Amino acid sequence: MKRSDFPMLGYGVGLRRQHYNHVLETRPKVDWFEVISENFMVAGGRALEVLEGVRANYPIAMHGVSMSIGSADPLDRSYLRQLRDLARRFDPAWISDHLCWTGVGGRNLHDLLPLPYTEEALRHVVARIREVQDALERPILIENVSSYMAFADSTMSEWEFISAIANEADCGILLDINNIFVSAFNHSFDANEYIDAMPADRVVQYHLAGHSDHGAYLLDTHDHPVRDEVWALYERAARRFGAVSAIVEWDDNIPEFAKLAETADRARDIFNADSTERTPKPALSADHRS
Amino acid sequence: MPIQLKELQSLLYRLITAVNGVAQGLAAERELGAAELDTIVLGDDRLSAEARVDIYANMYFYRIRDALKEDFPATLAVLGDANFHNLVTGYLLEYPPTQPSISQCGSHLAEYLRRHPLREGAPFIADLATLERASVEVFLGPDAPAMEPDTLRAIAPEDWPAMKLRIHPSAQILALDWRVTELLRAVEEGRPWKPADRGAVKVLVWRRDARVFYRDLEKADVGALEAVSRGATFAEICEVVAENAEDPDPVAAMNRMLACWLSDRLLTPG
Repeated sequence: MKRSDFPMLGYGVGLRRQHYNHVLETRPKVDWFEVISENFMVAGGRALEVLEGVRANYPIAMHGVSMSIGSADPLDRSYLRQLRDLARRFDPAWISDHLCWTGVGGRNLHDLLPLPYTEEALRHVVARIREVQDALERPILIENVSSYMAFADSTMSEWEFISAIANEADCGILLDINNIFVSAFNHSFDANEYIDAMPADRVVQYHLAGHSDHGAYLLDTHDHPVRDEVWALYERAARRFGAVSAIVEWDDNIPEFAKLAETADRARDIFNADSTERTPKPALSADHRS
Repeated sequence: MPIQLKELQSLLYRLITAVNGVAQGLAAERELGAAELDTIVLGDDRLSAEARVDIYANMYFYRIRDALKEDFPATLAVLGDANFHNLVTGYLLEYPPTQPSISQCGSHLAEYLRRHPLREGAPFIADLATLERASVEVFLGPDAPAMEPDTLRAIAPEDWPAMKLRIHPSAQILALDWRVTELLRAVEEGRPWKPADRGAVKVLVWRRDARVFYRDLEKADVGALEAVSRGATFAEICEVVAENAEDPDPVAAMNRMLACWLSDRLLTPG
């Protein structure tokens, strides 16, 4: 699997309930939407009706929060069937979820918990991603999560862990730039080193979001604008990885849609400015040399 | 020796969901001879291992409490913030989430409230929560096309007696002991609410154009809709209406009912 196996969707927004009517009624100028899979894994009603309307006008990707790819529990086959059926119906450009566990013992914490970066966890997750990709009949993307705890047993860095998993499971990476920044602060590592270590051809999508500062730690709350330091990291990623689809996530204190669209445009402008710098200027033609 | 993945996740789950917080959860683990937390989770001079697990414990509780607040606004309005907070604390102990969607977290709250001491101050609270939960379920319930009046008009007169109607699969009829619909409506509309009166009532909760509606059912309506639900023929439904209708003209009553069901988009083609 490589990035060129997927379309470049451009610069989009995470679709949230508060903007359903605005998106359906005004068809705002934005390249694409990422939708939270579980919000649409329902029997019927408004959510599916909205997704039909959105899908008719925009490309989408499906982003899950409950696959629990790192859990010690067996994979939830019923969940995977529902996810596959939703994908068959709405034809997303790709499906993603988080490199984490969300529960164990049949219980769900509804949170994204980190794994120990060990050989045991690596083997476990790689085998499960392969199973998931078979069940969903497509490669998936895995996203790095923000974390607040790390484990004494870890034998490798987070970037080594996610790179090894993506390479061995042959899946893509959804690189959350804000999550790198948050985790780098919380665990005192160098965010630049993380970006530089990613297997470039497996990075298929970025998330951009805001977080809140709790003094001793940063919390991934998706309730603030993207911070300048995160934009700087994004610039570094844009220089290293080239054209990668990106979306802006905002889950609390959600502003008007225009603010999200502006943030997506800023991501586009940064990439375009940077690629202009990198691209050699075309030589003037003979006719213009006089 | 490294802790196995399942053992690690199970330990963290117990600590994160410990009712009196991570510290007390840890104390209980130590009594069982568990290793010190900081040999498992890394702490530093900014945050101890325990403080780091505590971040997850807080997120677990508050994320679910906030989702329940959104799904049960009237229950919250009646109980108040502090009582609702304590209610959720106990509820999560008895009914920890097991489903991938957070929208399923509240599926047992009404049942839990039926046995809860908070009922003493608000005896209608479990019925109110039942109605709020039904509204969520109806909102997310299965799709089906609504029956159009023309479909009924096209049925030949001789076929009417044996015809069967079908209620939309997302609709629910609730049997409640308290008349809570006005209370929920007041909260939804931002008006002052009054405690619900006691009185057995059947409440219809249904979806029309992706919006959820609810209303108390009249006796004749109940009989007729229950007959529809159990697959009765139109002739049998008419008999039920004739038995229950206070209207001296049961045919007119049946016609009014049918017109109402059609305009509510409550019927779906069989």
